[in-house]
Amino acid sequence: MTDSNSKMPAGMAPGLIALGLATAYLVALLGAEKQAVIISLLVLGIGAVVGAAWLGLFDRVSRSFADHEDALGGSAIVAALALAAYFHEDHFVLLLVVTVLLTSVATLGLNVQFGYAGVLNFAGASFFGVGAYTSAVLNAYTSVPHLIVLPIGGVIAALIGSMLLLPVLRTRGHYAAVVTIAFALLFKTFLEVNDVLGGPQGMQVKGMNILGWSFNDNIEAGGITISFYMGYFLLSLALLIAAFVLVRRLERSWIGLNLDALRLDETAASCFGLDITRWKITAFLIGNFLIGIAGALFGMVGGFVGPNNYTFADSLILVSILLLGGIGNPWGLVVATFIVVVVPEKLQTIQEYRFLLYALMVIGVLLFRPEGLLPRPVRRYFPRWRP
Amino acid sequence: MDLGLFAQYTMNGLMLGMMYALVAVGFTLFFGVLDVIKFSHGDVLTVGSFTALATFVGLSALGLHSNWLALLAMLVVATLAMAFLGMLIARYLVMPLRSAPPLNTLLITLMLGTVLRECVRLFYPQGANPKPFPALLPRASVDIGEFNLRLDNVLMLSAGVLVIVGLQYLLNRTKLGLAIRAVAQDEETARTMGINFTGIVLITFALGSGLAAFAGVMNGLYYNEINFGIGLYLGVIGFAAAIIGGLGSIYGAILGGFLFAGLQTVGTVLLPFASAYKDVFAFAVVIAIMAWRPTGLIREKISERV
Amino acid sequence: MNPLLQARGLMRRFGGVVALDGLDLDVAANEILGLIGPNGSGKTTFFNVVTGIYGADAGTVTFGGADITRAPSRAVYKAGIARTFQRSRLSLPLSIFDNIMIGNHQHLNQGLWFNLMRRKAFKREFEENYAAARALVEVFEPAMADRLFEPVAGLPMIDRRRIEICRALISAPKLLLLDEPSAGMTHEETAELMDDILLVRERNKNLTIIIVEHEMGVIERITDRCVVLNFGRKIADGPYREVAADPQVQEAYLGVA
Repeated sequence: MTDSNSKMPAGMAPGLIALGLATAYLVALLGAEKQAVIISLLVLGIGAVVGAAWLGLFDRVSRSFADHEDALGGSAIVAALALAAYFHEDHFVLLLVVTVLLTSVATLGLNVQFGYAGVLNFAGASFFGVGAYTSAVLNAYTSVPHLIVLPIGGVIAALIGSMLLLPVLRTRGHYAAVVTIAFALLFKTFLEVNDVLGGPQGMQVKGMNILGWSFNDNIEAGGITISFYMGYFLLSLALLIAAFVLVRRLERSWIGLNLDALRLDETAASCFGLDITRWKITAFLIGNFLIGIAGALFGMVGGFVGPNNYTFADSLILVSILLLGGIGNPWGLVVATFIVVVVPEKLQTIQEYRFLLYALMVIGVLLFRPEGLLPRPVRRYFPRWRP
Repeated sequence: MDLGLFAQYTMNGLMLGMMYALVAVGFTLFFGVLDVIKFSHGDVLTVGSFTALATFVGLSALGLHSNWLALLAMLVVATLAMAFLGMLIARYLVMPLRSAPPLNTLLITLMLGTVLRECVRLFYPQGANPKPFPALLPRASVDIGEFNLRLDNVLMLSAGVLVIVGLQYLLNRTKLGLAIRAVAQDEETARTMGINFTGIVLITFALGSGLAAFAGVMNGLYYNEINFGIGLYLGVIGFAAAIIGGLGSIYGAILGGFLFAGLQTVGTVLLPFASAYKDVFAFAVVIAIMAWRPTGLIREKISERV
Repeated sequence: MNPLLQARGLMRRFGGVVALDGLDLDVAANEILGLIGPNGSGKTTFFNVVTGIYGADAGTVTFGGADITRAPSRAVYKAGIARTFQRSRLSLPLSIFDNIMIGNHQHLNQGLWFNLMRRKAFKREFEENYAAARALVEVFEPAMADRLFEPVAGLPMIDRRRIEICRALISAPKLLLLDEPSAGMTHEETAELMDDILLVRERNKNLTIIIVEHEMGVIERITDRCVVLNFGRKIADGPYREVAADPQVQEAYLGVA
């Protein structure tokens, strides 16, 4: 965590400029078709990021976001809406953006578990898959309203997760790591051999339908065709905003303090009355709930679930996002999710190598910048509050 | 169930147990000297078995057709190469992070495991597909009732036993073993006694990784097939076995390995659906055992200083 | 009068080492007790057994008449015992305020709904606690009171010790256990810290303190009474001057068996 000067609130300008530049860059990158253009843009982006990091600009941006979160958060929502409006016809880009939004929700969940409470979860993608399979099954066999299916997906992911981890969370040490890896491997093999859930071929998922409005139809309005992904985009954005606010409030509360305290020193924390087990479990349930909801919606977005989408390697990608963005900093996570999800989709040549590249990247981050791109600032319970 | 079938299952269980035990011993050795969990251990095994396979392919291309010589060369090359790799990992990834939170070591070795696994998948010719592994041991067998006792299995088991006995001898009867145990016991005291700490750590990592390579070759010979995911599979099970045995205890790790194989074998026999769900069952056993005794059968010593 | 804290026949072994060997100890309410003895005589182990970090192999500990021998750490804290650690155990990346608030766990509303949804009420509680933390820090180091939202990591040892003591005091415990507060500090710094502790005690006469310390000057200055441990047993008990003159104590310190 970096020191944020408590006397002088940071200006809003660094945050606004960064947001503007990032949006413009994203529009250019998402819209680019030629591989040469994409590569140039990526090189430019990497150069800009390295340069900014070297000049210490990230810390200023990070502080600016910490001090003007409401205003900048609002601007970020406007930027996201503008981006979606610009690409309103483009299925591929909108799907990509939806993927980023929902992956961000999942990494926010992982952040509560790992970033705050220090509980390792190497089965993030599996729990995401639990959510997706939940919506596949519920939409196919029941008439549960689709909006209700989402929280059910979250609850089931939380339930399965707690069944696995309850015994382990009662102990010290990082045994949760092994249990979650075992679950990640189990989950994929289970899906492959299980006929009820479609086996290796997976299952179709019925699209979202709210009170007769089917999300899977394009919208025709005044001569403009709007991609059917727009509905999913708006819903995903709403979900991300809700998750973001929740995680933010959690961090800026006594509960966030509890989680930090137990992560940093269990013995000292328990000498001051902290119920280690209770808070580890709370963090784990909240995290898995978010991951499960995101997965349930993503299942409907993609229209298909299969064992190969939720592997251990995918779980490691989620962890990579967390480490790259800066553990504990929600803004960093969203930025990192954009990078990690969008780059291999646009640059097809590295798609095949993405697991390798991200693993190498994380090793680099851990060795040279363990606090990530946007380091987590010291907790301010109310950013604008001054004594 | 008749006796022949029972013997067959026992043999399979012993083979599995031997491989698990060899992997578990590595985890326990690393944890002993550095108090770290090195998650890339299983993938070192994968790289070891692919190194052995590459050695075989190379030798065949050179016109060597003696199975015994080929096997010897494969073992030597794979073991030494992995020992060296283990030392590199210890020196450049694990030791520099000693002052960082232990979580970082865990993550960095996990990611390194992914790097190794992906390198095999992407850069070994057709590495994404399972590769046949040559059956180099004599395939003779004796039928005892329904039990088909295969010579290659007997040889592998004996080799495994020899390796474990050798490791015991090394740890308990040699100066090097004494130094390893001293470092595991108490780093500070070991240093003041004049033991080269870094050297001992590197040797320990070399030793553990060499054992993994040996287990990797054994796995290839046993199943006659290897793929880039075997290390992940064996690594998770081996790690769970090491935990069951109480991380840090060699005997515990060996015991844990065989216990695991035993449970898995019994499960396969007793549960009708277990053959299709073989891997699901194996990982379910891992989870169940971790839930049952997360800190191992032999209770860990509380070493935290307050 | 009944003692506030009472240990009877307290035993604790680590493998073959006997850290506490049938220790009997009484601490009266409102006294400052010095706990001294050579290294490895069981002082810190005593703290750890009292605060539930280690279990006792035999014997009992009662606090205000209630048996706390098998109570987990957090129950011991709730009963009103707070402590500091020999090797400073602050959460370095967190702010001064956060570290102090960790010590006030039992007075903070821990409800999920309160923390997440009732932000106005939370803000009031936060402001009250900020005022309390600030007032407490001001006793120790007024300069630090303006910097409560800076991380602990950059502070010198004496400030860290002060924060540790504030963390232990913020919940208004009945009994404060200080484990070598002078470790890692100079003589001047130690003297300053002791002034602060005496000041706190001046303001709150109901606070009982047990202090483990190697600096005999500190012990002489601030304690009402001293207990000397050797090999996990009490070998002397009385005002500092008396125990210091005790030949058994001198023997223990000089290591003459």
